[in-house]
Amino acid sequence: MENIINWTIQILLLPALSPLCVGIIRKIKARFQNRQGASVFQPYNDLWKLFHKDEVISSDASWIFRFAPFAIFGATLAVSASLPIFASFLSNNFTSDILAVIYILAIGTFFLALAGLDVGGAFGGFGSSREMTVSALAEGGLLFSLLVLSFMSGTTNLFSISGTIDSLPLASLLPVVLAFLGFFIVLLAETARFPFDNPSTHLELTMIHEAMIIEYSGKRLALIEWASANKLLIFITLGSSLFFPIGIAHSMGVIAIAAAILFYLLKVLVFCVAVAIIESGIAKLRLFRLPDLLLFSFILSVIALGLII
Amino acid sequence: MNNNEIIAKYLPAHADVKINNNFIAFEIPHSSLKEIVCDLYRKHNLPLKTITAADEREENGCFKIFYAFGAPKENIFVAPFIRIESSEEFPSLTSEIHEASTYERKIKTFFGLNPIGHPNPRTLILHENWPNGLFPLRKDFNWQTRPAEAKEHFEFYKIEGEGIYEIPVGPIHAGIIEPGHFRFNVAGEEILNLEPRLGFVHKGSEKLFEILPLEKKLILSEKISGDSAFSHSLAFCQAVESLGGINVPERAKYLRVVYAELERLANHLGDIGFIMLDTGFNFGGANGSRLREMIMQINERLTGSRFLRGVNIFGGVAKDINRQAADKLMEDLENIVNDFSEVIEVAENSDSLLNRLKGTGIVTGQIAKDHGVTGVAGRAGGSKNDARKDFPYAAYDKLDFQIAVEETSDVYARFRVRIKEVYSSFEIIKQALENLPEGAVNAPLAAVNLTPNAQALSIVEGWRGDIVYFAMTDARGNISRVDVRDPSFLNWTAAGHAGPGNIVPDFPLINKSFNLSYSGNDL
Repeated sequence: MENIINWTIQILLLPALSPLCVGIIRKIKARFQNRQGASVFQPYNDLWKLFHKDEVISSDASWIFRFAPFAIFGATLAVSASLPIFASFLSNNFTSDILAVIYILAIGTFFLALAGLDVGGAFGGFGSSREMTVSALAEGGLLFSLLVLSFMSGTTNLFSISGTIDSLPLASLLPVVLAFLGFFIVLLAETARFPFDNPSTHLELTMIHEAMIIEYSGKRLALIEWASANKLLIFITLGSSLFFPIGIAHSMGVIAIAAAILFYLLKVLVFCVAVAIIESGIAKLRLFRLPDLLLFSFILSVIALGLII
Repeated sequence: MNNNEIIAKYLPAHADVKINNNFIAFEIPHSSLKEIVCDLYRKHNLPLKTITAADEREENGCFKIFYAFGAPKENIFVAPFIRIESSEEFPSLTSEIHEASTYERKIKTFFGLNPIGHPNPRTLILHENWPNGLFPLRKDFNWQTRPAEAKEHFEFYKIEGEGIYEIPVGPIHAGIIEPGHFRFNVAGEEILNLEPRLGFVHKGSEKLFEILPLEKKLILSEKISGDSAFSHSLAFCQAVESLGGINVPERAKYLRVVYAELERLANHLGDIGFIMLDTGFNFGGANGSRLREMIMQINERLTGSRFLRGVNIFGGVAKDINRQAADKLMEDLENIVNDFSEVIEVAENSDSLLNRLKGTGIVTGQIAKDHGVTGVAGRAGGSKNDARKDFPYAAYDKLDFQIAVEETSDVYARFRVRIKEVYSSFEIIKQALENLPEGAVNAPLAAVNLTPNAQALSIVEGWRGDIVYFAMTDARGNISRVDVRDPSFLNWTAAGHAGPGNIVPDFPLINKSFNLSYSGNDL
């Protein structure tokens, strides 16, 4: 019984929270610009609105365009069920492996890029091309930063990693922090935030993520928007539960779990504030300088790996 | 220098000269057109202000084409013109003077006169759905005609090769901007060729200038480019005042300076913000819009119009600024400038912002010179041209200020020129308010009587660059032709050249750094 409750929370929490996350980042950004900003719950209203709208689908679109939003959204659901969110004692031996999670996310990206190309518009094409460049380069940084944790805890299962990292000696803090810095750069790249992409731009020619989904409308757009909010929270959760698993519940118990959820929410808030500060304080990088930054992320992870081997 | 000396200096001997105020027109034969115009352009190094045609077939049995040059410092305009009687052709000067190209294409499109020897006489502004052989600025074209859709084809420049593809962008954009089409030829992300295709907001303005009654013409001039309502109406008023021999009171001249600089301030502040916003520097973007809004509210308080519409009238201005309002204005402006300095300090300390601005969208000196690039874009490339100094109007000759110049000709230079001009506009307003003479703010006019068969040319340095109005009257003293040359008309041709060598995602930033008017170009 307790297991069922735990798993229900585990599966529903992330998709239910993710739009709020986007709302909070937008709100903080607005405050930084001396603006009032929309309510933090506005992304929920947007999703609700989009789910009640009709769609316009190009007559040139194939089944890929129609099917992709479900694949993308499904991928994020599968991953959110595989992450340690508040409890490290839950176990999922099917999808909760580092490689499995990274490549399930990659399936989502793959379909997104295909859908961008499918309709044949100019914007979708270059959006997909840029996305492929960025995510191919980001893959190394992501994989190696998580590998650092995996080497330190001796397992590739995410739940087990989050259960062991915070019991490690203080001396191992340095590689964790280095790997985290590498990971954070990838987080910004994979979730289409600054300095890689501008989630609030209206300039077609500068877009990456928005260019790929430019042909979507109505319900499918809602799914994609929700999926990208999920992806943002997935990366934040990876960062908070794996690198800093403070407060995570190691055993069953109502108080432990409630405290763990509270800790989790706090950590997510810190990540949101960090992302919002970055987006308010700097300009976007020139497209051709993005590989340098991603390479930097990769190097950080490799150094961290060198420190522990 | 008086008119006779000017004539002796610039004109060929024995020219048949016709003078109205500071506008000297003289007829030249087709055969010596190239020689005389090239002389003015190259030997005397006079800036070409406009080339325009007029249909005088009913009165004089001919078309005329004017080549208007300005003599800076002397504040005099020299305009040789040719008559086209039997044929519908005129010799093209494009191979000698590159910036003549778009003027000649426009004359071909609107008057049906063929520039012989033009390397690329494609239609300009009018859409391919407009039928061939229908020329809207000929007098026998009824302005209410609604032609059938023609479905012609427009050839874009095209680059072919492996891995090269085209990106069509617009005329409908994702943001709220004016419509225009951009055709990119791209290899990967690098722009090989970029061609702006405009004309989507063609409104028949020049035709309407011939049809509407005089007071409506003034309102029309405010609508040529909405963000430059005051500068455009000022240029038109000055042209009419020159044709009608109207003397503008001193106080009105100073007030015109104040309003013109307020318009410049509002637009420059907005642009500086938008340039930062387009790099994703949200802080700067938000503050630019905020500062611009403060000026707009000042405009509304002073004149009742956020865009300073209805302020200019023939013979002066309609809205006075009393002592109390002037003091309040100075106080507000001082706060705004301090505020602005803080924003700029943050911006200039942001490496990520400067990295995006510097070296992006360079227009090389030769291209800028050949295309006659004017205004902010011209000064960003080191050209020291500013109509407020070169052809002083209103009270600018009595005020002390510097021309803002930068050398690098990239986005950063255009950004810097705007910043410098914000400070200088503030100083100009301050001086104008301090020295504001007493008296009437407009000349009492019962009716505006214009000199028959005369021409006038008026230049105003709008915030983008120099706005040129050429107006002429027929034998009854009615305005028979108004040619509007917004600075955008010249700068659009160069904006296309700022693209190649840059990458596609930098183009919106480059375009924003020019911030040209579509409406002012399409007329």
